[in-house]
This record gives sequence, C-alpha cells and structure tokens, in this order.
Amino acid sequence: MKSKSINIPYILWIGIFIVVPLILVLLFAFTDSSGNFTIENIINVGNYASVFVRSIWLGLIATVICVILGYPMAYALSKIAPNMQEFMIVLLMLPMWMNFLLRTYAWMTILENNGLLNRLLMFIGIGQVNLINTSGAVVLGMVYNFLPYMILPIYTIISRIDNRIIEAAQDLGASRRKVFSKIILPLSIPGVISGITMVFVPAVSTFIISKMLGGGANILIGDLIEMQFLGSSYNPNLGSAISLVLMILIMICMGIMNQFDHEDNSMGGMII
Amino acid sequence: MADNKIIVLKDISVSFDSEVILNNLNLYIKDGEFVTFLGPSGCGKTTTLRIIGGFVTPDKGDVLFNTKKINNLPPHKREVNTIFQKYALFPHLNVYENVAFGMRVQKKGENEIRNTVHEMLKMVNLSGYENRNVNSLSGGQQQRIAIARALANRPKVLLLDEPLGALDLKLRKDMQVELKNIQQKTGITFIFVTHDQEEALSMSDTVVVMDKGEIQQVGTPLDIYNEPKNAFVADFIGESNILDGIMHENYLVEFAGKKFDCLDCGFGKMEPVDVVIRPEDIEVVEPEKGHICGLVTSVTFKGVHYEIIVDVNGFKWMIQSTEVQNPGDKIGMILQPDDIHIMKKSKYSGAFGDYSAFSDEMYEEQHNKPITEEE
Ligand SMILES: Nc1ncnc2c1ncn2[C@@H]1O[C@H](COP(=O)(O)OP(=O)(O)OP(=O)(O)O)[C@@H](O)[C@H]1O
Ligand SMILES: [Mg+2]
Repeated sequence: MKSKSINIPYILWIGIFIVVPLILVLLFAFTDSSGNFTIENIINVGNYASVFVRSIWLGLIATVICVILGYPMAYALSKIAPNMQEFMIVLLMLPMWMNFLLRTYAWMTILENNGLLNRLLMFIGIGQVNLINTSGAVVLGMVYNFLPYMILPIYTIISRIDNRIIEAAQDLGASRRKVFSKIILPLSIPGVISGITMVFVPAVSTFIISKMLGGGANILIGDLIEMQFLGSSYNPNLGSAISLVLMILIMICMGIMNQFDHEDNSMGGMII
Repeated sequence: MADNKIIVLKDISVSFDSEVILNNLNLYIKDGEFVTFLGPSGCGKTTTLRIIGGFVTPDKGDVLFNTKKINNLPPHKREVNTIFQKYALFPHLNVYENVAFGMRVQKKGENEIRNTVHEMLKMVNLSGYENRNVNSLSGGQQQRIAIARALANRPKVLLLDEPLGALDLKLRKDMQVELKNIQQKTGITFIFVTHDQEEALSMSDTVVVMDKGEIQQVGTPLDIYNEPKNAFVADFIGESNILDGIMHENYLVEFAGKKFDCLDCGFGKMEPVDVVIRPEDIEVVEPEKGHICGLVTSVTFKGVHYEIIVDVNGFKWMIQSTEVQNPGDKIGMILQPDDIHIMKKSKYSGAFGDYSAFSDEMYEEQHNKPITEEE
C-alpha cells in the first residue's frame, strides 16, 4: 500500500505535464478558432505532405548516418583502456554542455558562402561551393547535434557485455569476427534501437537546425508548427493538428523499429 | 600408450602486476584421466586452467598439447573447451542455440547439429528444454547446459572451473556422480578445479594439490590422503595431527617423547621430520595401557563420530572416535606403525597440525555457556 502513496507525485506530474497538454493538443486540433468542432484542421495538414516527407526523409538519413558513425565509435570506445574511456566520454559530452543554438550558429559561420570552409576551398583553388541552405547542411547539423545520443546507449550496452560470455564464445571456436557477429552485435541491438529512437525523434521534429542551416527552402515540420504558434501565420488549431499527425507518424515509425528488436522489451519504455 | 601425455606444462611462471601467481609450474596430464586441481582460494587454479584454455599467456615456460607447443595458439583454435566458474551461457540464445553454438561456428551441417544437440541434452537429462530461454533455467539446469554446450564440440580436453560451486549440497552430489559418469562414458580428459577436498578425492583419478602458485603434490586420491608430502597437504586434505619428530633409523621414529615403530625409511640418521597421524587412526584406551597419555579438553558430536581434543604435554591432538569421552578424563592413545606417516621437513613445518587454537575456542565456548558435551 505504501508504494501506492509514493506514486502519487509522479502520477500528478504525468497528469499535469503530459496528459493535460495532450488533451489540449487534441482539443485544439479538432476545433476552429471560435471553439466549434471541426476536422478541417486535420484535412488541411494534407497540404503540407511534402514538408512531412522531407522531415522524415532527412531525419531518417541523419539517423542512418548516426548509426553508421556511432556504432564503430561506441565499439572502439568500449575496447580502449577503462580510464581512457571516461576521458573520451567527457570529450564526447563536452559540446552538449554548450548551448544548442550556439553550436548551430557555429556551423553557420563555418558553412556560409564566405565562411571558414569556403575560404579554405577557395584558398586551395576549388572555388566557392554552396554549402549553407541545403538539405545536406541540415543533415549535417542533425548528425552533429544528435550523434552523442547514438553513441552513448550503444557504448553502455556493449561495455556491459560480460567478458566471460565473450571468452566462452572464443572457447567454443569463435574467431574475433565470429564473436562480433554472433555475440556482440546481437547483444547490442537494444542499444542501437534506443539510440535510433533518441536520434530520430528529435531529428524529425527539430526546427532550429533547419531554420539556421537549411534556409527558407528546407523548412521542416518543426518550423511549420512553430510558425502556427509564434510566426506570421498564427493558427494554433492547425499547429495542434500538425503536431498530432507528427506524433502518430513517429509512433508508427518506432513501432516498426521495435519489430526488429527480438530481445526482451527492456527498451519498450523508450518508444514515445 | 607410451606417450599419452595430452597436456604438458613446462616451467610455467605467471605474474600479474609484478605479483607472482604461478611459480615454475611443471605438470603433465594423461589422456583420458580425471584430474583435479585442489587448493585454497587464490592459489592459482583458475589461472592454470586459463593457461591451458589460452586466455592467459605465461610469462615463462611452455604449454604442450599432444607434444605440440601451443603457447601462442588463440583460444578458438584449441581442442579444449571450458565450463566457466559462472557458466557464461549466451543470454540472447535459447537452450538449443547455446548448445549448437560451437558447431554453428564450425559450419557443421544442420542435421549433424540437430542430432548432436539432442544427444547432448539427453546426456545431461534436459531433453525437451530446447526452446527454453536460458535465463529461465535454475542454477543446476544452467550448469548442465554449460556442460552440454562444451561437450557438443567434442573436445579432447574439458576444463571445469568449480562447476558445482553454486549448487546446493544435494544437487552437488548428484552432479558429481553425473559428471563422473559422463567422463567415463566419453573418455574425454577432464581437468576439474575445486577447493572442496571431498569432491576432489571422490571424483578424481589424479589430484594436484596447489598452494601459493606452486604444486605441492600430485597423486591418486589415496596417495594424497595416506602419504601427504608435506604439512600443507596433510592439513589441507582431511584432519591431521602433525608433530615434530626425529628419525632415529629406518622404521624407528621419536616424537611426543617416545620412540615408535613405523613403516617409513630412507631418511638420514637422526633427521628431523614431520609426523602425521590421522585423527581416525588413533585408538583410545585406558590411560595406563596407552603409548601416550593425555587429558581430554573438549568433545564435539559430529554425527558419525565424536571429535575429541586431547592435551598431551601442551600439544593438542585431535581424535575421531565413535565412543564418547568426557572433558577432564585422562585417556591413553595407541598408535600402530601403519598409523604413523613420516614427512620431510618443509617450509610448512610447524604451521599446521596442532589443535590448540581449535580446542581453546571449544574450551571457552563450553565454559561461557554450560552445555552438554554434545553441543
Ligand atoms: N587478471 C588478473 N589480474 C591481476 N591479478 C589476477 C588476475 N587473475 C588472477 N589474479 C590473481 O591471481 C591469484 C590467483 O588467482 P586464481 O583465479 O588463479 O585463483 P583460484 O585458485 O582460481 O582461486 P578461487 O578458488 O578463489 O577461484 C589471485 O591472487 C588473483 O587475485
Ligand atoms: Mg578460480
């Protein structure tokens, strides 16, 4: 009985900060500006299909790049000397302690037409290349900002694999490659899944990165939603409808993702 | 069968962090025998196994397998399989795939894999468990899966590192019998590690007693028990009274102020020696009829026998007898020549074999709380 009373603050928290806002989003999404029920907002979301496709597509590319870069980094990290590992993790986290906006601004000055990189390219004679305001720049921004969220869960799960299990596999005849493919890789899948969740969800719904690095031509859902609440085209009802659809799409994506996770559902809590 | 040494360890030394763990170890293991490494915790048993398994490379010395030097052969290329101290089953694979692992790695055919897995599971009495998650098994079942997994590879040598350590007494006894049966049925060389002397004596063909990274004695269980080489072995295997003695001539030894006939020879004239007398070999008689007389200081009931501590001129003997004595009684002890075993002096001389500390504890216990002798 005691454990129930301990739960009360958390239930209150969840109620006030999660359930109520969700209900509000639902309410706004299905009403017009004067408060009458309508499904027009939801229908209007369809006009922005191309923004959805672009957001999910860029988020997907960023996530895939994060897996490709992050897995080997996490694996290498788990294999170096333990005291070195701590140091490397601090290095990895260091940029995250800096403001998100600042980090993205930094990339702006690097990628600008007369920014750092272009000056270098001109110096070595390749000439100016248009880097800023491309979808490539947006993906770069996503990968840069979210890569640590891919590396950390994979690293954590790999470094927790019991060394005796690896020795048992070697003992039974598995070479280093076999140990990796038959033991380490399958045992680290839950870490990859949780990394994908932690990168994909913020990548799809980001708005600052696309605004600063993508220019006007590359607006993402996040920007769209922001515009409905703060920007020129003030329309919180449409904004809520877009948010709702985005949420459902992400849930579907994560649902599909979790089908690949045949392990016990220890990561189930990370779906939303 | 002239040269049937399947594994030879030659002058092996290992140090970790400049601490010597194994010191110039020499040992050979015959094909098909059940060898047990026995010794106190930290004496280097696991390290020795890991050298044979390929997980530790010795700083010095050679490891031979069928006369071939395998010092630098990685573990996955050795025809040796290990059952680890904590089983180390693969948590992401079910029972079937755990047992099949070695064969899958070697790319064996599906048919052969299926047959072998079934055969192995049958051998360890776990048929029908193929699809179970290994985490859902009891300790004893996991243990048997580990055995099946190792044997499925058909190793020439099986290394077992305290495989029964985590099991309760009953299951432990059953598994001892089961392991011994499997060893006899398959004819595979078993190298078994334990710090339980009873387990070692009852299961092995050969026992290797180790202490502080050195081999103290190698022999059959009977040899080890009846003819321990030094005070450490005598004390570690069973209970022993160990006294200082002097060998007057062949077959005549003096200790406890008396001369005794014995069966040992080949010592120098008047050579100081250690004398071992097992507590169960001593016959208790009336004081005037005994070779030696002493005062009973404590008696403990042990089920099959009583453990009696007797003070003889300050040296505390232990006697195991089925007849009860009373603390404070004077008794006599008779020692026959074949009850007396003579050992050369070693660095362990004087460290073991007197039950003073033991009996003081008992004495205090009895005087703090007046209970019967059968406490
Ligand atoms: N990798 C290692 N690094 C440093 N010291 C080690 C290492 N492995 C073992 N040792 C040390 O070597 C000594 C012998 O260890 P080992 O594991 O061989 O003992 P053991 O006889 O198997 O003991 P137990 O019965 O407790 O399992 C111990 O003092 C241990 O601390
Ligand atoms: Mg050990």
